[in-house]
Amino acid sequence: MAHQYVDLDTLKFILYQVHDLNSTLEASYFADHDLESVELFLNSIKDLSDQDLYPSFREMDEKPAIFKDQTIEVHPSVGTMMKKGGEMGLISAMFPYESDGFQLPASVHTAAHYIMEAANNNLPGYIGLTQGVAEILVHFGNQALNEIYVPKMAAGEWGGTMCLTEPQAGSSLADITTSARPTPEGHYQIKGQKIFISGGDHAYASNFVHLVLAKIEGGPAGTKGISLFVVPKFRPESDGQLTPNDVITTGDFQKLGQKGFCTTHLIFGENDNCRGWLVGEPHQGLKYMFRMMNGARIAVGRGGAAISMAAYQASLAYARERAQGRPVAQPEQKEPVLIIHHPDVRRMLLLQKAVSEGSLGLVLLAARYADLAATHESEAERARYQLLLELLTPMVKTYPADMGLVSVSNGLQVLGGFGFCSEYILQQYFRDIRIYSIYEGTTGIQSLDLLGRKLTMKGGQGLQLLAQEIGATLKAASQHDELRPYAEILGSKLPLTTQVVTFLMGFAMKGENERFVADATLFMEFLSTQVVAWIWLNMALHAKNDLVSGNGKYTREFYEAKIHTMKFYFKYELPKINGLAEAILNKEVLTLDGGMEIFA
Amino acid sequence: MKSLVCISHVPDTTTKIKYDAAGKGLDKTGVTFVINPYDEFGLVRAIEIKEKTGSGDVTVLCVGGPEVEPTLRKALAIGADNAARVDMDPTDSRSVAEQIAAYAKGKGFDLIFAGKESIDSNGSAVPGMVAELLDLPFISLATSLEFEGDKAKVSREIDGGYEKLESSLPLVLSCQKGMAEWRIPNMRGIMMARTKPLEVVAGHPMDAYVLTKKLELPSAKAGCIYVEPENAAQLVDMLHDKGLI
Repeated sequence: MAHQYVDLDTLKFILYQVHDLNSTLEASYFADHDLESVELFLNSIKDLSDQDLYPSFREMDEKPAIFKDQTIEVHPSVGTMMKKGGEMGLISAMFPYESDGFQLPASVHTAAHYIMEAANNNLPGYIGLTQGVAEILVHFGNQALNEIYVPKMAAGEWGGTMCLTEPQAGSSLADITTSARPTPEGHYQIKGQKIFISGGDHAYASNFVHLVLAKIEGGPAGTKGISLFVVPKFRPESDGQLTPNDVITTGDFQKLGQKGFCTTHLIFGENDNCRGWLVGEPHQGLKYMFRMMNGARIAVGRGGAAISMAAYQASLAYARERAQGRPVAQPEQKEPVLIIHHPDVRRMLLLQKAVSEGSLGLVLLAARYADLAATHESEAERARYQLLLELLTPMVKTYPADMGLVSVSNGLQVLGGFGFCSEYILQQYFRDIRIYSIYEGTTGIQSLDLLGRKLTMKGGQGLQLLAQEIGATLKAASQHDELRPYAEILGSKLPLTTQVVTFLMGFAMKGENERFVADATLFMEFLSTQVVAWIWLNMALHAKNDLVSGNGKYTREFYEAKIHTMKFYFKYELPKINGLAEAILNKEVLTLDGGMEIFA
Repeated sequence: MKSLVCISHVPDTTTKIKYDAAGKGLDKTGVTFVINPYDEFGLVRAIEIKEKTGSGDVTVLCVGGPEVEPTLRKALAIGADNAARVDMDPTDSRSVAEQIAAYAKGKGFDLIFAGKESIDSNGSAVPGMVAELLDLPFISLATSLEFEGDKAKVSREIDGGYEKLESSLPLVLSCQKGMAEWRIPNMRGIMMARTKPLEVVAGHPMDAYVLTKKLELPSAKAGCIYVEPENAAQLVDMLHDKGLI
């Protein structure tokens, strides 16, 4: 039997009940899906994960992807993932019917990938990126690009990648130098190099479709001059033959973790024979790419949530079997007790549970907003959910990654010295999750996005909408005696949020933009900690409702554990926002002042 | 080839088993149910035969209440053409076998598949009884099925090896590992399953032949105690205390 790496009951409780999947499925766009088919789909994904993903998890770490013979050698399970991704319809699951998709809700798709990522976080990215590239072509590509590339990617025969980062530019896309020169034939000559390209080359796809950000010669400077191109590794000719397209793989980055997910260095056009095809309009590349990036950011949060859940399951299983020490109150007891009875071990396990399940609740909420923003009958409601999604996205990307690392670290600590040993799996989760705070825009960049852009969008309406959503939960939770004190605690924090936001916006109003965002990362932690408190209160509310009605699907212990974990979060995590607020409101500006001398 | 596949609706193997307050049945709260894994070998082989020959159909049948329908839908998603549920509480092997035989009689099935046992009650009795009730040949523990003319060539596992058998059709088989590889339903199959026919058939009224009087869990496992290599004396003390040495 496979090791327990995911809690399907909690996943389904949040998806079906807390976030009310049935109401999402009411949209006519999702008319061919119902709860029964969703249940069947998720159970199938679990079977796939047990059978084909989890068994290779450790081996992919022990035998990392490597650069060999001008290509990247990866674990054979990558081939299985690509094949199954195509056969099972996972790559095209969310595409519209007219693109041979299945119009699966993002909520369900997110839940499915979460299961796979908990089983083996090295693998789902290969099909996730392929899906993202195909999705951009479905939305923005012309008919020819769609016909040539999308079916092959949907079948898992060709892989897809997103090529943004360059060695000299890092996260600063304005500074990219990859160029695109128009030709009379209609295509462009591409020249440049890209690094950190996940899934960029291997033997289990017969071609790769790289989506490359490049600047058309003579175009505007900075990000306004960036366009998006399809640049295949092999270009399909009119007779169907594939011709090498002067895309050279020069290496694979060896990493701390997630070693089975190759990270390549690609050079385009070294021999001036690399052709690219424009996606959509010139100079609109960032806009198109950000459609994929926003989805990718939610996917990163989902991965963080999945790894922290898998680590929680591993440390919980260990704590349930490992006997060591005596209770403080009974030091003379002859036989040792299971470590799960020690309060500090319980604290660490509860922190893992609070973070991993809270992160999952946050990720699935974003997916629900994405579904409603796309399909709600009312235009006003679509706009409302879109704004909520915009506001949540940087938090969804950041909280599960950053706090997931803390959570996994606590899980490793549960095992003591064994946690640090390669014989046990916790060290792998600890190394694997570290990248999630860096992927798709670091925590610093997400924090700038949250404070500098999302908070101020449409006159700050996003935060007002979020406050309304939280207010509705506080009101409902207050109907239960057991939950009312916690609703009051969370309600009492809202004026502090107003104070912090008002303080920071003061700098923006005065044009002191650098000061405005100097502590953006603290603000990220301040706000996302409260949002997850709301998520937990909402989960406890649904658990309580089921306990009271007696009609719940799950056991009494399941519901009581949800309420208990909410209380844990409110006691141990939520108070941290007071310290964060104190630091943000402190008028000293220690990170801006002092120049280089402060590092003397 | 026209096939009938008998499906049992059983708890997932990862289920933490609890019994109901009366101690006569499973506490189903929070339990995930699946197709009995041995039945699934027969299901996939039936589908493979249909795919290979390009003709015939595959019917899946389960005896149970409405709660078994998601399990039948999964069989449809894997590739069965239609499903039937005999609306009766499956109390014991004999009564289930009689319901299956009553359903199958006169419908012209060439093959009737079942698993070698169900993983909940492990009775291993139903397929043999169905064969007897329908007066058909029966091969148990089948690991492969091929055809030569109008004959079925079947391999079955025996102590220390395999037995090769030949049988006329119709035939009842109980299947085990080797008969086929399990299939995971894909997106298209799942969506198609929603519209495939699922017939509900009234069960023949009958009393149970065997009644469950009580179900009991095995004794709880003790926690694992680690003794460091240098503390052998502690291990000896512990074994003494437990009266094991």
